[in-house]
Amino acid sequence: MTEVLTTAAKGSPPPSDILLDVRNLVTHFRVMDGVVPAVDGVSFQLRRGETLGIVGESGSGKSVTALTIMRLLEIPPAQIVDGEIWFNGRELLGLTETEMRHIRGNDIAMIFQEPLTSLNPVFTVGDQIAEQVRLHLKLSRKASWDRAIESLKLVGIPTPERRVKQYPHELSGGMRQRVMIAMAISCEPKLLIADEPTTALDVTIQAQILELLKTIQARTKSSLILITHDLGVVADMVRNVLVMYAGQAVEEGTVEEVLLSPRMPYTMGLIESIPSVDKRGGRLSAIKGTVPSPFHLPPACRFQPRCPFAWDLCQREPPELYSIGGGRHARCLLHTKQANPVSLERFQKQLAVLQARAAGAEAPAAAVESPAAGQPA
Amino acid sequence: MERIHTTLPESVQVADAVQAPAAADESGTVVDYEVGLVSLNQWQLAWRKFKKHRLALIGLGMLAVLILAAVVGPILAPYDFYTIPKPDQFVTIGRPPSLAHPFGETARLQRDVLELVVNGARTSLFIGFSSMFIGVFIGTVVGAISGFMGGFIDNLLMRIVDVMLSLPLLFIILVASRFFANGSVVLIIVIFGLFSWMGISRLVRSLFLSIREREFVEAARAVGVTDQRIIFRHILPNAISPIVVAASLLIAGNIITEAFVSFLGFGVNPINPTWGNILTSAQEFLNQGNWWWPFFPGLVIILTVLAVNFVGDGLRDALDPKTRA
Amino acid sequence: MTKFVIRRVIQAVPVLLGITIVVYAILLSAPGGPIAKYAQNPRITESQRNEIIKAWGLDQPIPVQYCRWMGFCDKEQDGLALVQANGVPNVFPAALGGGTNGVLHGDFGHSLETGDSVAGRIGKAALPTAILAGLALLIWVSLSVLIGTLAAIKRYTFFDNLTTVFSYVGFAMPTFWLGIMLIYAFSGPGLDILPASGMTTIRSSPAFGSDKYWDFLFNNPLKALGDLGWHLVLPVFTLVVVNIAGDSRFVRASMIESLSQDYVRTARAKGLPGRSVTFKHAFRNAMLPFVTNVGLEIPFLFTGAIVTETIFSWPGIGRLTIDATRDYDYPMLMGVLLVTSVLVVLANLIADVAYAVVDPRIKL
Repeated sequence: MTEVLTTAAKGSPPPSDILLDVRNLVTHFRVMDGVVPAVDGVSFQLRRGETLGIVGESGSGKSVTALTIMRLLEIPPAQIVDGEIWFNGRELLGLTETEMRHIRGNDIAMIFQEPLTSLNPVFTVGDQIAEQVRLHLKLSRKASWDRAIESLKLVGIPTPERRVKQYPHELSGGMRQRVMIAMAISCEPKLLIADEPTTALDVTIQAQILELLKTIQARTKSSLILITHDLGVVADMVRNVLVMYAGQAVEEGTVEEVLLSPRMPYTMGLIESIPSVDKRGGRLSAIKGTVPSPFHLPPACRFQPRCPFAWDLCQREPPELYSIGGGRHARCLLHTKQANPVSLERFQKQLAVLQARAAGAEAPAAAVESPAAGQPA
Repeated sequence: MERIHTTLPESVQVADAVQAPAAADESGTVVDYEVGLVSLNQWQLAWRKFKKHRLALIGLGMLAVLILAAVVGPILAPYDFYTIPKPDQFVTIGRPPSLAHPFGETARLQRDVLELVVNGARTSLFIGFSSMFIGVFIGTVVGAISGFMGGFIDNLLMRIVDVMLSLPLLFIILVASRFFANGSVVLIIVIFGLFSWMGISRLVRSLFLSIREREFVEAARAVGVTDQRIIFRHILPNAISPIVVAASLLIAGNIITEAFVSFLGFGVNPINPTWGNILTSAQEFLNQGNWWWPFFPGLVIILTVLAVNFVGDGLRDALDPKTRA
Repeated sequence: MTKFVIRRVIQAVPVLLGITIVVYAILLSAPGGPIAKYAQNPRITESQRNEIIKAWGLDQPIPVQYCRWMGFCDKEQDGLALVQANGVPNVFPAALGGGTNGVLHGDFGHSLETGDSVAGRIGKAALPTAILAGLALLIWVSLSVLIGTLAAIKRYTFFDNLTTVFSYVGFAMPTFWLGIMLIYAFSGPGLDILPASGMTTIRSSPAFGSDKYWDFLFNNPLKALGDLGWHLVLPVFTLVVVNIAGDSRFVRASMIESLSQDYVRTARAKGLPGRSVTFKHAFRNAMLPFVTNVGLEIPFLFTGAIVTETIFSWPGIGRLTIDATRDYDYPMLMGVLLVTSVLVVLANLIADVAYAVVDPRIKL
């Protein structure tokens, strides 16, 4: 597996402006029927104060990536087979559980998908936030409680002095997620990981929560990883985006570039399946087929059975994450010299249609370079 | 977090290896090569899962041996059960286990304990299973009526169940056995059945309530299928798995209760040995030794109940669509 | 809370009435009826028998008999007496200004065997049962929580497998068999170190519950309690072993369920140490269903102790029931069945309230 996104040599820390450097991460699950390669060689970097979106369908390995970084997976069945995770100059996978505990909630905080089940039903929200504050910041009971109220205020909960004494079930879904965010920021972490923070919420609340995350991130200058299955959500939330498919990173770049000129047929499919107002009347396209069974991954390119541009080589030659210029990467043979001209032409045509549609709807698209310009790394 | 092991659809299995395309393999299962899955019918799948449950298989084997012993044991036994071997010799100490009498001999009439246990197995197992059938039958009927009819009838039946469950059932069964059964096996079975259906009826009712709302029942109703047909063809087959599991627990419970009631002397007439009444007189001779007299019948009860519970556990896992083979 | 309790008590009334009807019906339909034991007695003449029938009101129609037994009707007057002359409902015990006859007023009649008041006998037998069952409950609940929790944390280890085997066997073991075997082992011809029957040592102590006993207890508290404790060992052990099997499994399952919940992951994501995650966040939630479970088990203490009490000759409710059943002692049986039924209903109520107290999600 290539390590195109890694700048530093194996075993040595990245430059200090890089907060998080994930290198060739491989996480497996051992289940009764065999081994599931949930994360299979994922690498990415995140600068201090920067934002990254990880996008993929369920089963693509995006949540497992996050849980691996937090080292929250149950081992076994999970097993971190390979890779390095450099965070703030330290390698996380080599830390003891005690050292790791001081990082969790303190330096890296996580926001989960389902706020109702993620909050403990038998403790008040204040207890749950203050508990963490007391643990990491070594504050007194009183001071932690005040800080809990402070955090609740920060996430826009009205009358926090009253809410702090309530139980999770007494709050609305949006309120609960605000509590989760308040808990996450209570110790001023350097990195926030939000795992599908809005999926379980009403559509009207979703926008509010995303807006809140954005504001909080801007105010606290922490880095943010936003994990979602919805490309539409990342569009105005993050700077960079990493698209994952079947445990692998398949495309990487800034959010504008990836959204306006995708270089991987899978990303293109994801973009086309976003419903939008201007496409009204037209057909909403979906990627054909389903995510492959993790026990029976297709040989070579994992997206090939569902790919409209695939040709015979795609079944034989496993694609790597090729650098395609401008700091972008894509895992597709179309970006190699071996590309099938017919497929390439169809791909470019499709890309042009996509861009024309986007240009019609929004600001002019970024300059399009030839997809074939990229060279194998 | 993605649930890796539950992403596959229910009642679908991953094919063992990549196979050559074929419409169906010899067991009649259909292989869908696009996703590499094999779909099995409910019972094939259940058996497959059951077979993987080692304890359940052991339990099934133990039950088979016990039932076999109960059926043919008395025929093969070297001693004639109904002639008392040494009627003139009342002894206070029996004989400890030996080759001729592996479970020893009792005090007083010096009967072979193995012989008693094997004969007792007939009655005890018969009571355990038969009263389960009565309980399951009443429970299923009451639960089905309650769940299907709803309204006043449902309310009335469920209040009756509430009352029955508030009774100290062990006392009631004891008293009823003493007052009505007069040592008769059949009456004991009826009494056990009459006081053990409430749990099943609640279960069946809740199953009916939930299944009644499912689409396929709605669909059947929409095309004018009769109530009777809906109950027997559409709802009951879907309710069978949980009933089977509950029934297995009922057998175990009944076997222990019978032993207890008979042990106290209020159950089956000692002419008809059961695992319970064999022990009745064992207690008085205990201070002379005779440990083998109560020990072996009790051991067989434990093994039987263990076997039934193992099978019950296996069934629970095998019939639960949420677990995978 | 108060409203909930009142509502539940009102809901319990029809259930309790239903129970009296069932209990009455069962005993009424028994062949021979209450005078069956006199029917075979050659020393009692036909006319004496008829006198008994008349005196007990057995010549009256069944509804009247039931009504009198319940205490709504009286021999001296016709018709129902749901409301007393002073306008108060006719359901209070005599001491609180109610009538003097019938179940509703605390009058369960007199034992056919001994002539004692049924209520008095039940009251006397309740204490030994409460001592035995209470102590056993305390021990088995604490041990179940301990074992179940440890097994859940150390899932699939040797300890967990050992407790699994133990609970399977314990679950399958008949109480009376365990009792018999324990008596053989510790009070038999080989090793005779523990008392196998009764509550006190006959030679050195007055019988439990007698007037002399209280004096003895007061004067020699250590000796009396020590003797009682010594007699408690085997019966308590029997009850504990049998009940711990199911309950420790319950705690284990509940704890495993709780440990797999999202909030446990959140607690770990907050950086809490393992013991905090387990013993604060998971444990508290795992105890919720267990509290209900224990509440529902309490009435079965009384019925379940029946076996243990028989084996160990413990003079409690269970022993009383067995004797009454053997002797066809109708008033005694009805009394015992009713009292234990009321206990079941009461325990259900307590279990509900307890659940609401420990689970903030439940509003009463």
